[in-house]
Amino acid sequence: MSSTRQQIALVDVNCFYASAERAFDPSLEGKPLVVLSNNDGCAVTRSPEAKALGISTGEPWFKLAPRAKEWGLIARSSNYELYGDISARVMELLGRYSAWLEVYSIDEAFLGVKGSPEQVVGLGRTIKAAVQRNVGVPVCVGIAATKTLAKLANRWAKNNPALGGVCRWESMDPEARELLMARLPVSEVWGVAGRLEKRLNAVGICSILELSRADPVMVRDRFSVVLMRTVLEMRGTPCIPLEEERLGRDQLIFSRSFSTPLTSVPEFRQVLSVYAQQASARLARHHLQAKVLTAFAGTSHYNPKDKSFPSVCVPLPMPTSDPVLLTRAAHALLPAIQDGVKYARAGIMVTDLRPSDSQQPLEPFTNPHEERGIGPLLEQISRKYGRGTIGLGFAGLRSDLDWSMKRGMRSPRYTTHWDELPVVRAA
Amino acid sequence: MGVIIGPRVIEAGLSLRLVLISPVAVAAGFPSPAQDYFDGRIDLNEHLIKDITSTYIVRVSGDSMEQAGISDGDELIVNRALEPRDGSVVVAVLDGELTIKRLKITAAGVVLQAANPLYPDINVPALADLTIWGVATRCLHHV
Repeated sequence: MSSTRQQIALVDVNCFYASAERAFDPSLEGKPLVVLSNNDGCAVTRSPEAKALGISTGEPWFKLAPRAKEWGLIARSSNYELYGDISARVMELLGRYSAWLEVYSIDEAFLGVKGSPEQVVGLGRTIKAAVQRNVGVPVCVGIAATKTLAKLANRWAKNNPALGGVCRWESMDPEARELLMARLPVSEVWGVAGRLEKRLNAVGICSILELSRADPVMVRDRFSVVLMRTVLEMRGTPCIPLEEERLGRDQLIFSRSFSTPLTSVPEFRQVLSVYAQQASARLARHHLQAKVLTAFAGTSHYNPKDKSFPSVCVPLPMPTSDPVLLTRAAHALLPAIQDGVKYARAGIMVTDLRPSDSQQPLEPFTNPHEERGIGPLLEQISRKYGRGTIGLGFAGLRSDLDWSMKRGMRSPRYTTHWDELPVVRAA
Repeated sequence: MGVIIGPRVIEAGLSLRLVLISPVAVAAGFPSPAQDYFDGRIDLNEHLIKDITSTYIVRVSGDSMEQAGISDGDELIVNRALEPRDGSVVVAVLDGELTIKRLKITAAGVVLQAANPLYPDINVPALADLTIWGVATRCLHHV
């Protein structure tokens, strides 16, 4: 393999939500910490110390709570405005290290990297140090010839402290790689989930190693073209294109690359509107509402000049799937779009998803109130006097009040609310 | 003049907006001669924030930095990416808390000083023993 061939780095934040909490509250350092899902239901993120207690993802809080004191376990309600902002900072910073950046989820991104093995590993270390220093959260970096292997390398970096958080797959000892692949169940491969695992096991493919050695044609015929690509990727042949939307852990992403670059604000206005409406439709279909929207754009990696990776994170005034609200929030990216720069991709991500009420609440921001400026006025009043002080009918109030009661353990929204800034002691 | 801003734009978490009244054409149809010279409002983000990825705003609690012009309730702009130097006002982690001090680096060691005679110095053997969270670049002092 030529040493200057493009490689792919997967950068992701370790225990993202827990790390974001710790960035502003050093007293949480070294303590078992879980971040809970919406309504303080169950543990969605566990610090390493919480994992060591044997707490698993999805464990209901009501079961953990009675033992929390005895364990010294600390819980935090999810604080999506904080996580969204920290995510936007991380992505912005990553964009400075590569012109080829694909935001994959709230805490992961793929980057195109070039150079000798030593150079790309060095770049990985530089990126890790920069994110820690600037933003204040730890990341791991996996580097490989394909996305699927970069994911695997990233996992290896996480589980081997000796690697210092950076692993290049092809630099590993081949025997160590085989051992790892033989040990890991096939479900650990990117893109192989529950049902597929059972079907693979039925044809004798149980480990990642067995999958990588499977006949791609057989895999295509008996499973799918998608899985065949995974097999090829495991062998080092890049073939996974960008996905356009994903329903992942508590987030929806709509993003794509353009064959003809976008160069003007009006074009972006249209594209972001389309995404916002797609997001709206998809949220409605899944009976979900979002509380935070992140919009981003980026230039192409084939265009080394004019690098630009703007992103904004917008807390929505209420949990919503309303297209008008989502569109308006997505348009918050427009001031950051540099006129004349050729953008090759754009996208939006909605996070902090929660089930919508069975009854569609009356949204105060839709027509005809829209034109009368009632929406922004309500927003200003709410901002000044607190959520739930004003609204039309039941608009968002019930769910919001309901909500505030179930977020008993939320840390301050340190970076998005002026009255919730981190406090530094001068004593 | 009421300025209504739509859904709040959070650019990297900082939402400082200084709203000035811009010269606009008057209804009578006579454009203001100043209009040609108006090139957008002053944006504090541009002047106070060097790097949006590493800049955070924090609020001070206590009076130990009073003589450095940093009072209880003031906001500080903190840049995590700056190298702390002798004389820097830093946010340091002490006993699990973010604490604001002035950093003195001498041949004998490192000292965290308050800017108020009521508070004693804290001696640290070496910079490596200290977690510096960030370096304060501005104080938004309430006058």
